[in-house]
Amino acid sequence: MKPLNLIALLLFLAGATWALTRSQRMVRDIQVGYFKAISPTLKSGSALETKVRDLLEETRHSKALETELNAVRSETGRLRIIESRFQALERENAELRHALDFKKATNFDVVAAQIIRRHPTTWWQTLEIDAGEDKGIGIQLSVLSNDGLVGIIDRPFKHRSSVLLITDEKCQVSVRVESSPEVGILSGQRGEFDNNPTLRLRFLSKDAALQSGQRVFTTGRGGIFQPTILVGTIISVEKGPLDSEALVRPAVNLSDLGTVFVVLSENH
Amino acid sequence: MFRYNLSTVFLLLAAFLVQQFVPAFTGLSHSRILFVHLVFLCSAVTVATPTMLLLAFIGGILWDAHCSLAPIMADPEVYTQPVESLRFGYSILLFAGMGFLMQGLKPIFQQGKWHFSALLSGVAIFLYLAAEFILISFVRGDFTVTRSILRLMTYTSLLSMLFSPMIFWLLYRLAKIFDHSLYPEANRPKRR
Repeated sequence: MKPLNLIALLLFLAGATWALTRSQRMVRDIQVGYFKAISPTLKSGSALETKVRDLLEETRHSKALETELNAVRSETGRLRIIESRFQALERENAELRHALDFKKATNFDVVAAQIIRRHPTTWWQTLEIDAGEDKGIGIQLSVLSNDGLVGIIDRPFKHRSSVLLITDEKCQVSVRVESSPEVGILSGQRGEFDNNPTLRLRFLSKDAALQSGQRVFTTGRGGIFQPTILVGTIISVEKGPLDSEALVRPAVNLSDLGTVFVVLSENH
Repeated sequence: MFRYNLSTVFLLLAAFLVQQFVPAFTGLSHSRILFVHLVFLCSAVTVATPTMLLLAFIGGILWDAHCSLAPIMADPEVYTQPVESLRFGYSILLFAGMGFLMQGLKPIFQQGKWHFSALLSGVAIFLYLAAEFILISFVRGDFTVTRSILRLMTYTSLLSMLFSPMIFWLLYRLAKIFDHSLYPEANRPKRR
């Protein structure tokens, strides 16, 4: 080997070792710098993607009407989430009263955001939204749509954030099945790149008496997701020798999302 | 030569900007054109090993900055089996591996036969994706290859490979601008 190549290889290995041993804080600093540098093209790229999508969906509204419609949709969605939350709280309140227990009332504050980019990476199920730290968004906040849980904030930046979808294997959600004592951990499945991905609900009891069509809600345990958020519907149940697993269809059509809501306040 | 090498670095950085405009093809199992990888692979066969390693370092670190996920801080009593991600910086090594693979065809490329390198770029991207998937499976456990994954890897490598002649043309233009020969063997007079 030529001496110059050997020196280059040693320098390269030193650089690779340096990169592989960076702390999460340093990695975040590198990412912030990277996204700051590509910010102008990121905006243009997102805008282009949105335009192409609008064209494909044959949106014929004028720009003003579209903006107004988006604003109304955002507001309607926000109000629907708050309404459903109040209903859930009412039910919860009745249950708690019945059990002569008390639980602190929750404050459910959300920020509406538009999706600006879908699946920016090869393997991870993520999307990007146009709201970031400037709107109070931080790491690991729940992201919802009108229909249910979408995912969690993975990386918040100044004006945009990355959302890890519930269809990603890494996004685990503690859930319960309605009308049943069953609780388990729901997560996406590796390699589900089709338009109708399913989720896998694990750690159910061995004799779980579940049926397709039963809805799945968050338990609120685990320090990430608020309780009683709809996540999906059971499609099928597979019974194993030690425990049972179920396939769950997400409540949200993730391929057709426009507006999402980030839950700002913690309630656990 | 130095100016040409520097121009490949800038071309790689430009590929990161172009990548922002390339969406995933949802109808093709979310496959995409990997311009960053393609520019690196095509450049790797035209430069010396030190420059290739520099490109691998820059490409790998920026690609990881683009892609890596944050760790999830959840209650370990509830989430007993957290799912790990790939460590930041792993792409640097994968890029270098692909670069060395491409440099294996350098003698043929220097004879003016760029077609083989163009084909190999598609193979290298497929191997890169396969290596990534194997690493993910190793870190997370449970190695299962679905049709969807195979489609993603195949379509991504094929779509990317289709653009390799364009990247070679760009490199050829850059070499001409900076008075550098990409095919020294082809230009050398033949001896009888």
